[in-house]
Amino acid sequence: MHETSVAQRMVDTAIEVADQNGGGQVVGMRLLLGDMTCVDAETLSFAFGVVSRGTRVEKCRLEIVRVPTRLRCRTCGAERGGDLLEPCVCGLPGGEVLAGRELRMDSIDIDEDAALAAGKQP
Amino acid sequence: MSKEIEVARDVLQDNSQNAGTNRQRFGRDGVYVVNLMSGPGAGKTTLLERTAEALGQRVRMAVITGDIATTRDADRIGRHGVRALQINTGGACHIEAHQIARAADDLGVGKLDLLIIENVGNLVCPAEFDLGEHDKVMMLSCTEGHDKPGKYPLMFQESRALILNKMDLQPYTNFDVEAALADARAINPTIEVIKMSAWKGDGLQAWYDWLLARMAATKRG
Repeated sequence: MHETSVAQRMVDTAIEVADQNGGGQVVGMRLLLGDMTCVDAETLSFAFGVVSRGTRVEKCRLEIVRVPTRLRCRTCGAERGGDLLEPCVCGLPGGEVLAGRELRMDSIDIDEDAALAAGKQP
Repeated sequence: MSKEIEVARDVLQDNSQNAGTNRQRFGRDGVYVVNLMSGPGAGKTTLLERTAEALGQRVRMAVITGDIATTRDADRIGRHGVRALQINTGGACHIEAHQIARAADDLGVGKLDLLIIENVGNLVCPAEFDLGEHDKVMMLSCTEGHDKPGKYPLMFQESRALILNKMDLQPYTNFDVEAALADARAINPTIEVIKMSAWKGDGLQAWYDWLLARMAATKRG
């Protein structure tokens, strides 16, 4: 259940970034999640709902954007999707990971009206 | 009205930064650090008991061991004459870099040559959390099944060495060594393989030699 550790960091980061931008409610968040990460999107969404409760991220709409795995063959250099054990067209499995390890916060949405009305909230 | 703010930040950035700080410190202090990972019950603690017995007098070594609860592992390893510090993760399935920084303070890593981190037994989560180690080492025991490298590729992909443990039990299981190694090498072509029975003692010398060679190599920079 490391999704909880991940979700807690998402909430902390969102509050930090919101504060740097005038405060207010965080109403949206876009997260890039690579297919190769050991993070489960459904579990993460659930954990995010739990740890954001009672914070300014509570009503946040979480958009998780899957990033498919991209591999480059170590032998012939061809790029492909799929997983490490599926062989390249040249017949060899494995390869260098070009994409799919992302666990990255892309953006957040802040409610500006709430920020102006309430100023900085805890 | 809501406004969109670009963040473009790795969610685990703080852990990566802490790991980077650990790595610099370990480099400065000249201590070689291994992150030993496996599923629960693969034999990490037994291997570390043997390692403490064999190397504890020759090199200045310590162990940090992570578990959800109890100090049993640290107690076991500590009986063999090396310092062993237990981290209780309180339900978390992995160790994080800031916990290693604190444990390194408590142990005084500057006085060590070798620090082995025994991660929480888990084939999934520890892969996402860099600790600042020099090398990750993966342990897989025959009784777990040869399909595990293919099913849990990330940890095998990031490891410098793969220990196949409980080789003494292999004749009693359907564990196919070649199939396990084929998958592991497909995922990680340069992974070094050490076969052993930590309990019976077979293959341990190869592990000690590997550790000492890596220790010397990191000292040379």
